[in-house]
Amino acid sequence: MSTETTGLGTPEDLTDAERGAVEAELRPLADGEFVLAERYTEWQVRAPTLESDLAISNIAQDELGHARLWYDLLEDFGYTEAALIWEANPEDFQHPTLVELPLGEGDWADAIVRGYLYDTYENLHLRALEGTSYPWIADRVGKVLAEEDYHTQHARNWLSRLCEDDPGRERVRKALDRLFPYALTLFAETEHEAAIVDMGIRTESLADMREEWLGVVVPHLDSLGLSVPVSEDGEVLVDLPDQVGTDGSHTEHWPELFEEFTHTYRELELGEPPRLLEDPDEV
Amino acid sequence: MIWEVFRQEQRGKYHTHCGNVHAPDKEMALMFAQIQHGRRRPTHSLWVTPREEIGEVDAEETSFGGTTDKSYRWAMTFNTDEDFAAEIAASQREQEAAERERAERGDDAEGGGGNAEGGAEEGESA
Amino acid sequence: MDIGTVTERASPRQFGPKDDLPEEYRKAATRMIQFHANSEIMGAYLERPFIRQAPSLDRKLAFSAKVQDEIGHGQLLYRAAENLGVKTRGQMLDELANGEGKFLNCFHYPMTEWWETPMIGFFVDGAAMRRQATLKKTSWEPYAHAMDKICFEEGFHIKHGESILRELATGSRKEQELVQDAFEEWWPRILQFFGPTDDQSTHHDFASAVGLKTMGNDELRQAFLNAYLPKARKYGLEIPEYPRINEGEDGRYEVVEDDLDWDEFWQIAKNDYGPGRQQIDSRKAAREAVAWVRESMETPGSGPGSDTGDTPQAAD
Repeated sequence: MSTETTGLGTPEDLTDAERGAVEAELRPLADGEFVLAERYTEWQVRAPTLESDLAISNIAQDELGHARLWYDLLEDFGYTEAALIWEANPEDFQHPTLVELPLGEGDWADAIVRGYLYDTYENLHLRALEGTSYPWIADRVGKVLAEEDYHTQHARNWLSRLCEDDPGRERVRKALDRLFPYALTLFAETEHEAAIVDMGIRTESLADMREEWLGVVVPHLDSLGLSVPVSEDGEVLVDLPDQVGTDGSHTEHWPELFEEFTHTYRELELGEPPRLLEDPDEV
Repeated sequence: MIWEVFRQEQRGKYHTHCGNVHAPDKEMALMFAQIQHGRRRPTHSLWVTPREEIGEVDAEETSFGGTTDKSYRWAMTFNTDEDFAAEIAASQREQEAAERERAERGDDAEGGGGNAEGGAEEGESA
Repeated sequence: MDIGTVTERASPRQFGPKDDLPEEYRKAATRMIQFHANSEIMGAYLERPFIRQAPSLDRKLAFSAKVQDEIGHGQLLYRAAENLGVKTRGQMLDELANGEGKFLNCFHYPMTEWWETPMIGFFVDGAAMRRQATLKKTSWEPYAHAMDKICFEEGFHIKHGESILRELATGSRKEQELVQDAFEEWWPRILQFFGPTDDQSTHHDFASAVGLKTMGNDELRQAFLNAYLPKARKYGLEIPEYPRINEGEDGRYEVVEDDLDWDEFWQIAKNDYGPGRQQIDSRKAAREAVAWVRESMETPGSGPGSDTGDTPQAAD
């Protein structure tokens, strides 16, 4: 465990306000990775080729593994995996709505665009956590970031590949039109935003991250012949969806997905989810 | 032009990289490779391939084994007995060896790792 | 090389892509490996819903990894088959989509609930593993090489399956009842995994003679029952009265073949069984839905992997 002299204390030492801010930072991150992975796994055995199937499966597992690390930090505050996921209510989840949207059959462009928009955000987010005041997060960021590089590479590679011909670019454009407004909600602030930044849990504000994100995404998409509804001076020219996820509001697709992945747990009336791996704190 | 050379020691084994030769074309590359790489060690077959056709990505650029715990894909993680069937015991022994190798190389301090492409290149014992 | 020479030389890992092999050998090997590869894909297709339905993070990770491995095995096996020069991977995948490609009987049945998964993950995979271990000694070297990698991974799969079985079998009464029901439903199909007795198997003699197969169905079924019947008992699963399994004094098991539904088996073998047909067709729809991506990848510039296996050529 690294020691941050100016940082927050151990999970038990945190004040209520500190703990609330750490939870508010972690929960959307954990849920975001979990639900994104859930959607990625829909591509297993259905990806365009065997090789691309193997790749997206691996990415799904990476994301799930990251979710596991973030959930584990929430468990330090006394929550259990059961309470956080399997016995939770759909509205307890705080993932951005971008990741819960359903995938159309064969809409590989959606998987790639979604991955690109989310991974670019996640990369910025993780970098803003490298200098976090909460050492438990700091310990895990490096491991997660190391795996995210491949995800970004995967998304960018596919994105330019698909944009090489007109039919492909058209599919990408459609996916982008649908997903972009949801992607902007990645930066929707919660009531804890000021505390998160003030306490140094995240070293950059969502507003700054949003500017940076636009600075990366807009020119890159532009270079591929794709335009997004953002003016030259960075003003967003599209209405954002009402459901932003981080405040617990979700699209109508979420309860359905939740129902599906909790089906077995409920049917078997399990009291706790089976564990196989060692606690991340032990390894 | 540089050609990379892969040698197979005997029928049924794997071709592994053993060196390279300079040659203007495939025919001459095969001719030179026989002398440089096929004579001093037992050889059943040689492959040659143009160096420039080989793509490369290294550990500086990517993180192959993964950095988070992947032990969910190792037999050792599941604490049922593997010895009831020889082939399952053999599989687990190979995985244990692979994990030891990873640990010795220090690739993965967590002891997890591996991926779908991970295989037993040397696992030729039938 | 003529058949006589092939038969004479037949031994483990004896023949490779450079050998001039008779058409009969190449076709028989293609048929066998294509069946194996197709089975990996259709097995994965049957199991994929349980990545979602897995009841914990760890189980979900393991299930996703397992399904991914099966696709990886398909990739290896199609390559080993393609190497015989009879069919390309694209052709074989098309045949699977069109309902011409054959695959294992068990993967033609629907599987809808989590408590059924050990029937595939432990028993069927266990049976497959028994066979696969013997195929490390097949005479087609690329097939044997694929087996090295597959067997390396398979230990995880079987233990994953057994771990789910154990959890259910040692769980609540409800879990125990559900897993018993699943077992009763799947057991006859599992017994048919190795097909009918050898004397009824049309391809067996040739495949054995040229070293493609190293062990017959009867022997494999025996080996399977020796290891897995005691396991079923250990977990408190009650072996159904029918199909009858007679235990000889020498410890050999004999399945009373007349107790099994061979009409259904042969219907399945022709891809004519309703639920299996649905699996084939829904996978076909999924494959066709991403045909546009494969087309896009094959445009000049070449993508990260291609279904045709063509290497990009410079334009003339």
